[in-house]
Amino acid sequence: MEVKEFEIWWKIPFKHSAGLHATKFFEGLKDGKILGVRCERCGRVLVPPRAFCERCHVETNDWVEVSDEGVVETLTVTYMKFTGLPDPPYAIGVVKLDGADTGMLCFLGGVDLSEWRKVHETFKPGTRVKAVWKEEREGKITDILYFEPLK
Amino acid sequence: MSVAVVGFGQTHFRTKRKDKTHPEIAFEAVNAALEHAGLELKDIEAVAYGSMDPFDGIYCPERWDATACSLEKPMMKISTGGTTGMTTALAAYEHVASGLFDLVMAVCVQRVGECVDAQPVLNTAVDPIYERHSGLGAIHIASFQATAYMEKYGATEEDLAWVSVKDHKNALKNPYAHIKMDLGVDDVLKSRVVCSPLKLLECCPRSDGAAAVIFASEDLAKKIRDNPAWIVAETTISDSYYLGDRLSFAEWDSLAIAGRRLFRDAGIENPVKDIDVAELYSPFTIQEILELEALGFAEKGRGKELAREGVTFIDGDMPTNPSGGVLCTNPIGATGLVRFGEAALQVMGEAVNQVDGAEVALAHAWGGTLQFHTLAVLSSKKKLG
Amino acid sequence: MRIGIVGVGFTEFGIHKEPFYNIAFTAAKRALEDAGIERGEVDSFILGGYDNLGVGRTISNMYTAPAAGAYLRHEIRVSDDALFALPLACMRLRHRSDVTMLLAFGHSSETPIELVELQSLDPFFHRPLNLSLPAFFAMQSYAYRRRYGVDEEKIAEVVVKERENGSENPRAFVRDKVRVEDVLSSEIVSSPLRRLEIAEWCDGCVAFILAEETVARRLTDSPVWVSGLGWSLENYYFDREFQKLPFVAKSAEMAFKMAGKDRGDVEALEICDLTADYHCMILEALGFAEEGRGWDYNGDVNHSGGALCTNAYGSTGAFLLASIVERIRKGEIDCGLVQSMSGYAQRSCVAILEG
Ligand SMILES: [Zn+2]
Repeated sequence: MEVKEFEIWWKIPFKHSAGLHATKFFEGLKDGKILGVRCERCGRVLVPPRAFCERCHVETNDWVEVSDEGVVETLTVTYMKFTGLPDPPYAIGVVKLDGADTGMLCFLGGVDLSEWRKVHETFKPGTRVKAVWKEEREGKITDILYFEPLK
Repeated sequence: MSVAVVGFGQTHFRTKRKDKTHPEIAFEAVNAALEHAGLELKDIEAVAYGSMDPFDGIYCPERWDATACSLEKPMMKISTGGTTGMTTALAAYEHVASGLFDLVMAVCVQRVGECVDAQPVLNTAVDPIYERHSGLGAIHIASFQATAYMEKYGATEEDLAWVSVKDHKNALKNPYAHIKMDLGVDDVLKSRVVCSPLKLLECCPRSDGAAAVIFASEDLAKKIRDNPAWIVAETTISDSYYLGDRLSFAEWDSLAIAGRRLFRDAGIENPVKDIDVAELYSPFTIQEILELEALGFAEKGRGKELAREGVTFIDGDMPTNPSGGVLCTNPIGATGLVRFGEAALQVMGEAVNQVDGAEVALAHAWGGTLQFHTLAVLSSKKKLG
Repeated sequence: MRIGIVGVGFTEFGIHKEPFYNIAFTAAKRALEDAGIERGEVDSFILGGYDNLGVGRTISNMYTAPAAGAYLRHEIRVSDDALFALPLACMRLRHRSDVTMLLAFGHSSETPIELVELQSLDPFFHRPLNLSLPAFFAMQSYAYRRRYGVDEEKIAEVVVKERENGSENPRAFVRDKVRVEDVLSSEIVSSPLRRLEIAEWCDGCVAFILAEETVARRLTDSPVWVSGLGWSLENYYFDREFQKLPFVAKSAEMAFKMAGKDRGDVEALEICDLTADYHCMILEALGFAEEGRGWDYNGDVNHSGGALCTNAYGSTGAFLLASIVERIRKGEIDCGLVQSMSGYAQRSCVAILEG
C-alpha cells in the first residue's frame, strides 16, 4: 500500500516591530548613514544597534555614526538553491566597519561569483571593503546592496 | 544525588519515515529505551520532551506526542535549538538530581524530512529585523567558520575531508545511522560545493527519527542494571546573539569556556588522557575540528591534523563520533539526545562501535547561530579519579 | 530545602511596539533591582515562553537569553506557558543553583495566535477541520452549561466580577468594567462563547529571582516560598468529558501533596481563566467548588483580574504567579495557589506559594 503524503504550507503573517533602536538605524540608512550605539559600560560600539549590551546587561543610548568601509572577517558563497532563499550564487560575509567593535552580516558583491576560490581570494579575511548603496533608499537593511573590495 | 542513565533507545533514522506518524515514531524510541532498561512505561514517573517544532510542520508537537510517552505523567517541553536533545536530557536529569523523582525519561522527536527544505526553517531563527534577508542558515555559519579557520591556520580542504571520511566509516557499522557510504577523501573533495568552502559530503543530512533516554536515582539505577552510565558533570552556556559580536570564527570561545567549567566540575585535568571517547555535535566537518580545539583535545590550529592522522578514528587515541555522528544522521532536535545516549552506551560497554575499555565519555551539542552549547560527562564510575 | 522567590520584575502588560526581547530585558532588570542583586550573582537562567510561530522566531531563546542576562551562563528554555518553567527552575535550585532567574516572555501582537495554535493540531485528522482554539473552548463551554444547566447570566456574572477586579489592578491589560448586559450582548465568537467571555491576547514579560533557602534569607527578610508544584496533561485525542478538566485536578493533587497542605490552607487563588466557563471548571477541578457550581464560588479568586483581564501568550501563568507573590509580600495573604493552562486545554501547572 502506497503511504499517502499531504503537501501543507504554513502561511502565517507576521508584523515584526523593529523597536526604537532599529528604527533609528533604518532612518539613518535612508540618509546613507550607518549608526551604531556605544555601550557606556564596556565602551564597545555595537553595529547593528540594539537597546541593550548583552555583555554588560545595560541599556545603550549613545549613538555614533560609523564608516561604510570596513574589513571582511569571514565569508561564504552559496551555490545550492534553498526554497525561499536567494538564488545562487550569492556571497554573504561578516564585515567589521571602521568605528565599530562588532561585525555586521551583509552581502558581498561586485565580482564574478562563479568560482568560489577566486571569490575567497578577493574577499579573504582582512580585505578592506566599501558599501555599495541603493540609489532609491527605503530605510531597509537591503538599502546597502552589498560590500565590494576597496579599490 | 547521583543520577545514572539506565536505558537508551533510538529509531532507525531515514530521510523520511513514511511508515509512521509523529507519535508513532516517538512510541518506537520510547519502547526501545524501555526494553533496554527492562522497564515498562508505567514505571516512568515524569517525562521531559524535546523538539525543534517548525521542521516537522507541527507547532508544539508534544501535545500530540504525549499520547505516545506521557499520558497520566508530568511532562515538560524543552526547546533550545540544536542543543534541544542535550538540554532535554539535562532537564530530565534535573528531575532526578533534585530528589523530586526517581525514574524520568527524556524523549526527543524530529522529522526534518517532513519539511521540504530545512535551510529556510533555519533562516527563521535569524533576526527578521537585521539579518534574515541574507538567507543565512546553519550551513552558512559553518562555512564562515571554515573560511576563517582555513585562512588563520592554513587548514586544507583535505584536512576537513578526513573528518567526513572518518564519520562515514563509523556510520557504516551503525544500524541506526542514516547515511551509509564508503567514502575516500577524493569522493568528499569531488562532491559539489554547497556553501564555499564546504562541500555536500561535508554536510549533514536531514533525518527523521526519535530517541529516548531513561534516568534513574542511585539505588534504583543499581537495581535496574549492573552497568549504568553515571552523569558526572553537565553544563550549558549561552552567548550573545549577533554573529558579528563573536568575531573569533576560527575558534569557538564559548565552548572553550563551557568545557573548562565542565572539566573542573568533573575533576578532569587532562581531557585527552581522562576522556576515552567523545560524541560531538558536528553537522559540518569544520566544527569537529573547532570543537576538538575548544575542548582541549588539540592545540589551537592542530585540530585539523587529528582525523588525517587517524587519532579520532575508533582505534585512535581520541575516538570521536564512533556512531557516525551528526554528519551522517541529523534529526535536529533529537540529535543531542542521540549524542547523550551513544556516550552512555560507550561507558556501559554496549555501543555498536565500542571503544575498547571506554570508562569516560563526553557528549556535546551546539545550538542557535553558534550561540549555545550543552555538555555532559558520563562514566561507568560515579566519580572520576 | 525550600526555594524562595526574592525578586519580581513586571513590565507593562499591553500591546508593545518594542520587540519582545527588549521588553524581556526590562523585566529582567527590574527583577534584579527588586532582589537587590547584580546579573553576575545569578548562576542559572530558566526561560519560559513560546517559540517559532508564536513569536515569529525559531529558537526564541536566542533573543531572550541575552535579554535575561544569561551571557556566558547556564540557560535552558521551557517551551510552554512560563508557569511550566517554574518546576525546572526549582529543580535546578534544589540540585545545584544558588540563584536562578526565571524569565517569562509573552508576545502575541505580531501574529494571529489562533492560526498559530491551529498548527499544533496534527495535519491529518484535526487541523484540516480548522478546529480553532475558541471553537474548542466553546465546545467545552457548551458541554459545561448544558450538563449542569448553567444559565448564561451566571457565566456573564463571572466576567463582570473578573472585570471589576481587573479595573482595580493597575497592571492588568483590560481595565474597564462591564455589566451583565454588555457581556450578553457581545457577539458570539463560537457558540455559545461570546467575545467578552474570552480572554484577549496581549504582550508582557515578568522575571523572578529565585534562591535556595539559605541564600534567599540572606537576600530578603520576606522570601515567598514555592511549597508545592504539580503539572499534568490530558489526552490529545478527545476521549474526555468536555465539562470537566481532570488534568487540572491531577496537577493540583501533585502540588498539594508536595506542599503537605490542603485546600483550607489556601487563602487566595489565581487561575488561568481563558474563558469564563474555564474559570468555573478550574475552580471545580482544583477542589474549591462543587461540580457544576464554580460560578457560585465567592472565595478570593483572581484578585488580579485573572487571564480574562491579562493574557499575554506565553507569560499569562507568570503574570498570575507574580500577582500572588506580590500579595504575599504585602502581607495580604500567607498562602496562595496559582494555576496555568496551555494548548487546547490540555496541560495544567499548579504552584502553591507561602510567606
Ligand atoms: Zn557593554
